[in-house]
Amino acid sequence: MDINSASVIAAALAIGLAAIGPGIGQGNASGQAVAGIARQPEAEGKIRGTLLLTLAFMESLTIYGLVVALVLLFANPFA
Amino acid sequence: MFDFDATLPIMALQFLLLTYILNLVFYKPLTKALDERDAYVRENEVDARERLSKAEKLVKEYELQIAGARRESQSILEQAQADAKNINAQKTAEAQQQVQSEREKAAQEIQQQKEAAMQSLEQQVDALSRQILEKLLGAELVR
Amino acid sequence: MEILDGLTVINSFTLAELEVGEHFLWKIGNFSVHGQVLITSWLVIGLLVLASVAASQNIQRIPSGIQNFMEYALEFIRDLAKSQLGEKEYRPWVPFIGTLFLFIFVSNWGGALVPWKLIELPSGELAAPTNDINTTVALALLTSLAYFYAGLSKKGLGYFKGYVEPIPILLPIKVLEDFTKPLSLSFRLFGNIVADELVVGVFVLLVPLFVPLPLMALGLFTSAIQALIFATLAGAYIHEALEGHGEEEHG
Repeated sequence: MDINSASVIAAALAIGLAAIGPGIGQGNASGQAVAGIARQPEAEGKIRGTLLLTLAFMESLTIYGLVVALVLLFANPFA
Repeated sequence: MFDFDATLPIMALQFLLLTYILNLVFYKPLTKALDERDAYVRENEVDARERLSKAEKLVKEYELQIAGARRESQSILEQAQADAKNINAQKTAEAQQQVQSEREKAAQEIQQQKEAAMQSLEQQVDALSRQILEKLLGAELVR
Repeated sequence: MEILDGLTVINSFTLAELEVGEHFLWKIGNFSVHGQVLITSWLVIGLLVLASVAASQNIQRIPSGIQNFMEYALEFIRDLAKSQLGEKEYRPWVPFIGTLFLFIFVSNWGGALVPWKLIELPSGELAAPTNDINTTVALALLTSLAYFYAGLSKKGLGYFKGYVEPIPILLPIKVLEDFTKPLSLSFRLFGNIVADELVVGVFVLLVPLFVPLPLMALGLFTSAIQALIFATLAGAYIHEALEGHGEEEHG
């Protein structure tokens, strides 16, 4: 396998694997937030704001994977 | 895509410049405006609260006055009622007295008339009995 | 782009049309500059300054129109700074955090809402300034400088004592943190914006009409959240430097 095809596979793996953890985390956080809203509906606005911020933090982990994928595809230091 | 060049420092300088300019034309004047409005609102609120308390004090005072006046009027009313009762009792007593005296007078008169009538009746009885005797026994015997 | 030349599979696939990594290069002396980034950033800066001047040139006690809108923005920024830095120390940092938020927000939305494709450039294309890694790294480095400045001006050289407290074993991790903070800040913003534009671009290539619209809406939402996150994290880092105890750690 030459370095180019290896890079393409690595890019795909990078973003695919990087999506797993945040996916689980986001599902967990959203579930907890829904439970929180169900338990205390008057706190919905606060919970929603915090949830969105938290989701974006988790999302950024996938984005790091995407950045690595982009580096591998468009600015590969070894190619 | 990941090539760094002179754009980076230029962008940083631009951003600092933007911060400086916005601080002059956006943050400072509008923060001042917001603070002034806050102060204005707070001042007005304090003022209004003062006025409200003053008004409440006035209301309390007037209520006290009203209560005093009501008490006064109540006492006047009671006085008047008592007076009226007194007068009523007096008048009634007087009238009763008058009636009593009139009744007594009338009773006296009746008595007098009764006595007079009795006297005249006795005289008539005497006369009649004499006439009866005269008729029965004859005039000579009677005398 | 060199790698793409070797990847015939990708080349035959229309990715090249997306013009990833093309720049409208200017030469200033020995330095090269990304012209398309600077042009859009000037537009963003001009828009912000114009709106601010329009809002603040005739300040009324009862606000209306643009003044009302900008006051709403300012109150939002103040609340943001206050929630991160606390009631006592937020005031001097409002301009920095607020400008971060406004610049990133207007850049992101400007990149997403304005049809830049209509303006032809010799090479590259106009897009959000935050679409370029130079911009995000510049902002992230400024944030790092800001929190170093905050810590040093508050505690002097005693700020560096915070690195060996409570236990000196954590020193390498804390030093490492100083590098990961700007790295994560810049890559998060850059990655989100580029991801949005790439996804929208790919969808436009596949289905040119209507189908990309929900994704564009999602992109608008994400870019607004990203601006909020950048400003919030900058506030959090500055607060951490002011407080000295780094118990909070964000992505």
